[in-house]
Amino acid sequence: MKARAAVPAVSLRDLAEALVTFARKCGADEAEVSVVDGYEFNVDVRKGRIETLIEAGSRSAGVRVIKDKRTACASSSDLDMATLKRLVRSAVRRAELGSPDEFAALAPLSKERVDAAALKLYDPAIAGLDSATKIALARETERAALRDKRITNSYGATFASNEIRSVLALTNGFVGEYEQTYCGLGVGLQAGDTDNRVEDSWSSSKRHFKELETPEEIARKAVERTVRQLKPRKIRTQNVPVIFEPTQTAWLMGFLFGCVTGTAVYQKSTFLAGKLGQKIGNERVTVLDDALMPGALGSHPFDSDGLPCRRTVVVEKGVLNSYLCNIYAARKLGLASTGSADGGGVGPGNFYLEPGPAAVAQKDIIAGTKKGLLLIRTLGHGLNAVTGDISRGAFGLWIEDGAIAYPVSEITISGNLGCILGSIEAVGTDLEFHSAVTGPTVKVAELTVGGE
Amino acid sequence: MKKQKRPHFQPGTPPFINAVPPRERSPQRPLPYIDHFGLSAADLRAVLGVALSSGGDFAEIFMEHRSYDLINMEEDIIKETAEAVSLGMGIRVIRGDRTGFGYTNDLSLEKVKKTALTAAAIARGKAGQTPPPPLRDRTRTWWPSRYVARRPANEAPLREKIKLVREAYAAAQRHDPCIAKVKAYYSDSLTHICVANSEGLLVRDTRPMIKLICVAISEKDGKRESGYWGGGGRVGMEYFRDGLTPREIGEQAAREAVLLLEAVDAPAGEMPIVLAPGHSGVLIHEAVGHLLEADFNRKKTSVFWNKMGKKVGSELVTIYDDPTIPASRGSYNVDDEGTPPKKTLLIDRGVVRGLLQDKLSSRLMHDAALTGHGRRQDYSHWPIPRMANTYIAAGGDAPEDIIGSVKKGFYVASLSGGQVEDSGKFTFSVSLGYLIEGGKLTAPVKQATLIGTNIDILKKIDRVGSDLAFGLQTGTCSKDGQDVPVNDGCPTLRIEKMTVGGRS
Repeated sequence: MKARAAVPAVSLRDLAEALVTFARKCGADEAEVSVVDGYEFNVDVRKGRIETLIEAGSRSAGVRVIKDKRTACASSSDLDMATLKRLVRSAVRRAELGSPDEFAALAPLSKERVDAAALKLYDPAIAGLDSATKIALARETERAALRDKRITNSYGATFASNEIRSVLALTNGFVGEYEQTYCGLGVGLQAGDTDNRVEDSWSSSKRHFKELETPEEIARKAVERTVRQLKPRKIRTQNVPVIFEPTQTAWLMGFLFGCVTGTAVYQKSTFLAGKLGQKIGNERVTVLDDALMPGALGSHPFDSDGLPCRRTVVVEKGVLNSYLCNIYAARKLGLASTGSADGGGVGPGNFYLEPGPAAVAQKDIIAGTKKGLLLIRTLGHGLNAVTGDISRGAFGLWIEDGAIAYPVSEITISGNLGCILGSIEAVGTDLEFHSAVTGPTVKVAELTVGGE
Repeated sequence: MKKQKRPHFQPGTPPFINAVPPRERSPQRPLPYIDHFGLSAADLRAVLGVALSSGGDFAEIFMEHRSYDLINMEEDIIKETAEAVSLGMGIRVIRGDRTGFGYTNDLSLEKVKKTALTAAAIARGKAGQTPPPPLRDRTRTWWPSRYVARRPANEAPLREKIKLVREAYAAAQRHDPCIAKVKAYYSDSLTHICVANSEGLLVRDTRPMIKLICVAISEKDGKRESGYWGGGGRVGMEYFRDGLTPREIGEQAAREAVLLLEAVDAPAGEMPIVLAPGHSGVLIHEAVGHLLEADFNRKKTSVFWNKMGKKVGSELVTIYDDPTIPASRGSYNVDDEGTPPKKTLLIDRGVVRGLLQDKLSSRLMHDAALTGHGRRQDYSHWPIPRMANTYIAAGGDAPEDIIGSVKKGFYVASLSGGQVEDSGKFTFSVSLGYLIEGGKLTAPVKQATLIGTNIDILKKIDRVGSDLAFGLQTGTCSKDGQDVPVNDGCPTLRIEKMTVGGRS
């Protein structure tokens, strides 16, 4: 082993193209190379003092080769050309050990292109922020939260930012490249004494710095979310209407996303396999996957198959309109790709439940509920895509006669996603894009709430 | 009834993959580069000097080279094989309670020094300290190795690994006509790490890991269910012959999938719970392990922070975390800060006795004794206190007596995961359970979540079996966005009552 020379400053694009050419030279019929260059900044402040400060840059490359319909992959964070060439050479050789797969082939080159600049994925202001400003934001957020005397401990506040450049090159002639930024600011809190602790957090995450919520706003939300859980009661096991807050609809939508991917469908690992064109929910359920919303967290111009991203109506008024497919799942299912390829699998753009024309304000949904649970947090996994079954630990606010009565904890909720989609009684107006997978408040007719 | 397959602990087995440095191979080399990294001990010392140049108290370099093989079989074909290499270095500088951290995957001396300066910026002071002492290699100080790999996976041909995957897949597929789909995944990795710090420590370790898992989907009368099974650990290829065979993995996954077709919904409400031995250890991991990690106690966010030496649970409950169990997935010869790990007593007959420590928490807790639980996901993360192999010690009851003692309750046969928050509220997800009626297991029960508060549950553990066993050797624990391999164990346990999240 010799001392390592610095990784030469070739452009990512040149590197990707060189590896595609090299793969072909090694005997690959087709090849796909992605290269990512990332810069990360992260500061954690707790009780006013910096706890950790991270600053780092890193690169990685991924290769997929197809030879005689057999696929092999390789990836490396060691961008030494000798290492990369060895990995490509060995991938081509290794492909022979795989099985021939009639569906294995790159996507055809698309004539359509999405203009990456129009998606507003990159904010130069983030690259221009100095460390002192970022640290001050985290400090200010925590300080604002700790001003509230009901807060008894802090998990600290975090400011994080990322700048990422991605390149994809394919043997079909596709070469795509874009830059994106993210920034996030959040704080985690506890209230109550040691033996009666409650906790929660709030964070804001955006691609553009000026869209980030202010430290005061974040602190206020984190405090409110935490203290409202103080002095919880236990309740008896019963079946009641459950209102999902937007943070809870977000995981419900994440679960739905996993159930509508073409990959899960051909693997039969979703209860929605074989349901295309059928009613899977009531008329209040319209779900979109839109990767083209300017500035949104889930937007991107092309997918990892090199196909242009798009807007897909997944569920329209309860009818399952479309699965989300990469080229491979699309071919398996005899469908068209929805531009959803993400690495080897399928990923969301901005996947959300649309409020629709009948949407009502959350306060009116609560006011219209005689007895029920406002679901505010969940704990644990308990999601089974094969059956649609849901069973999770939960925290909530008990509703009596249209008003919030008291917090409840140490409860569980259980139900089934299929039944939930079929029994949504109200959809809120409060849709916000805090994450790529999201939704507004929803009220579900009945779930089992487990307690004493 | 599913039987818990014990990991093959062979304390006397000679280790083949171990941490002996390869220096014997070329003793004549004047300036030996540390394998895989292209930097010499002298280089590392110089980098540590740069890291301390702004007045840090402590600096540390963590270098990592990991290579993986992955095989994915679905739809009756070997769909994909993959090879991955991960190389990089993380540099940390501590000043008081502040940590600066930088990482790079460009290991040229020039870039590494730049990374050291980034980490050093946290200290923002004058270079007060004298240069770090010369590094002394302490790689040989532990023996025997906790890795039990007679035939290391990295030396086995890919064909042989593909054969294992096919065997597991075929076994699941032919187990029952109801099996509609099968997926099988194999992965192995070999990780070389090297830790060097400003206290003069230099230590290396080479860690093997294997995992083979199978998912089976059953289908009958329009109903679908899935089953999961797997195995592996810090072992070699012989594991799949002497430990757990691919055939057993496939069959167990299929068996669970078929059984669940007949399963009923879980009951809802509070009731007595009996936990099967083995991976029910997830309960201990969530209810106790996390909240005895030193960072949560130093920050006083854990419900345990003011309970050291106090009785919090039943006298039947004794809990350890032991990173030294041979061949186990959570084990290591040295933690990611270079500390040799110790079997650590956490709860002794209901009394809180210990914390899982890393260097930072130990420094900030008046130099509390290190336990060797400083772990990190990879070079791009800094070490934090983590569990390794957490288990509740065996008690004296016969497992059948424990089940027989429950008139009406819920038996947890297999678990798919859990979560806890610092207040002590925790959940775990049951993938397969049984109703207990009249002291006997009756109908199989599908997915349910159990929820409780840790201290309350520790008090309610009222029977502990003699049949300690460990989990599937496929577990991963997440904390602060970092994933590390772990394992858990427990004997048959009875909990007087706990809330089951079923349907009514």
